[in-house]
Amino acid sequence: MTDDIRALTARLADEPGSLAFLELAEALRRRGQTDAAYKVARGGLARYPGLADAHDLLARVLSDQGELAGAFDAWSSALQLDPMRTSALKGIAFLYFRAGDKAAALEHLQRALEVDPDDLSIRQAVVRIGSEARPHPPATAPSGDPPPPAPVARGLEAEPVSPRTSPIFGGLEGGDGGLLLVDANGLRLGGRLETPEGHDAGDRVAAQLAGVSREAARATRLLGLGSWHAIAIESPDGHLVLAQPTPETVLLAAREPSLPMGGVTLLAERAARAARLWLETS
Amino acid sequence: MRALEPWVVQPLENFLAESAARLTLLMTSSGQVVAQHGFSRSLDVMTAAALGAGIVASTEELARLMGGARFEALVHNGQRQSCMLGAFATPRGRWIGLVVFGPETSVGIVRLFFDQLVQQLAAAAPREPTPAPPMLAENFETELNASLKALFGR
Amino acid sequence: MTPATQAALDRVTRVAGVRGALVVAASDGLVVAEQLMDGVDGQAAAALTGSLVGRLARTAESAGMRPPAFLHLRGDAGGVLAAPGPDDLVLVAVVGPDANLGLARLEMIEAAGRLG
Repeated sequence: MTDDIRALTARLADEPGSLAFLELAEALRRRGQTDAAYKVARGGLARYPGLADAHDLLARVLSDQGELAGAFDAWSSALQLDPMRTSALKGIAFLYFRAGDKAAALEHLQRALEVDPDDLSIRQAVVRIGSEARPHPPATAPSGDPPPPAPVARGLEAEPVSPRTSPIFGGLEGGDGGLLLVDANGLRLGGRLETPEGHDAGDRVAAQLAGVSREAARATRLLGLGSWHAIAIESPDGHLVLAQPTPETVLLAAREPSLPMGGVTLLAERAARAARLWLETS
Repeated sequence: MRALEPWVVQPLENFLAESAARLTLLMTSSGQVVAQHGFSRSLDVMTAAALGAGIVASTEELARLMGGARFEALVHNGQRQSCMLGAFATPRGRWIGLVVFGPETSVGIVRLFFDQLVQQLAAAAPREPTPAPPMLAENFETELNASLKALFGR
Repeated sequence: MTPATQAALDRVTRVAGVRGALVVAASDGLVVAEQLMDGVDGQAAAALTGSLVGRLARTAESAGMRPPAFLHLRGDAGGVLAAPGPDDLVLVAVVGPDANLGLARLEMIEAAGRLG
């Protein structure tokens, strides 16, 4: 163990609540000790869930470990906390580049360049990728608010962005099919849902979901079960999972029964994160 | 929603929000209306209050004849809407609640939050009630009209 | 209480982490039978679960699916499981955060089919 790691380890042991975990995990990561770095970063993040540095650090560790979907989520969290964080923008751009989505990579690098125009590495990356990127419609965002990064499915086999893809769920496995974001009044905010016969059921289902969040919250509260997280519905014809991106919205994920409920739950969680990001930045 | 006494308002609003009741009437056991929600005509309020108080009185007498405790609630299930009558004790004496509800809610939900309403009314009732002046015949119609005006916001 | 109802409640309450089980008339939200630990409000569980099951069944129907066979409402400190049976009856379990959900689910789906 090197001297700096020893010293940082001792400091963290003496003061478990200190921010020394940031330096220690970074030092371990640079030495290739990614498992140890992960443990330190995770522990620090648990104490400081609102610290963008901690999410950024975790993302770098996960990226080194090859956990690219986890890295994406962590950098997304860092951006939620700090929309001008160039390291997170660069990190996400890197992930898109690795996945072959040069257009999305370029978009994020350009945002990073707007924040830090003097960063030479960003300029060089923009030049290099810009010459390779496919035509991509410019992201429209309210001035001063960065547009959200499009979420990418695990495995990072990102689909090219197309006009038909929902801006909320674009990039998730299966696109926005079988995903529905609904407001408290039962109006669809995004996504699409079809019956097994292929008919559009999005608006009808959205109407049924009006007030479901309030009702679920009431049930868990009055039964002493805390706040509600999710509702899983098993039908012979499919699995549905409801999640709550924000107190005013509900997300529904629907899949065929061949996908285990655990998989649908995971998809719903990822889609809820994407929806939350879209709601916060749109 | 209208109430003659302000401390009834919040508990009743909570009940209406949770139960999705279509019509609600709170009255004393003698049929004097305390609060109402959903009625559009004063005649309907007076009629419902009189009938509701009468039904509860008959049912309590029936329970007494049967030698059992008072019934907690009566529920009449209809095709399009249902009705629940429940009598309960308050610091202001025995009151009756009449609740009309449709298929958008259920008797279980209505009863659950009716019980909560009863608890909240007991907690919200002022400690020392203002003694009511003696009711004289010539005052009765004036008092009734004043109550109806308050209940319908006119 | 019918033997099938009693058997259903016994099977479910034997599962680790189950705080109580009840059979509910879903449309009315009323308790048909119950077996509950202290602190579990059966009246509230019946009313609230009955209402939610109805709403979620309509959601599945509007998505072109057959009625649900199992539902799980997950909260911070536990959850509610529901397995609809025949004749508008629903078998409901209130569970703690560390309940054996897999076993509870299997027991409930099988037991719910024998209610009524």
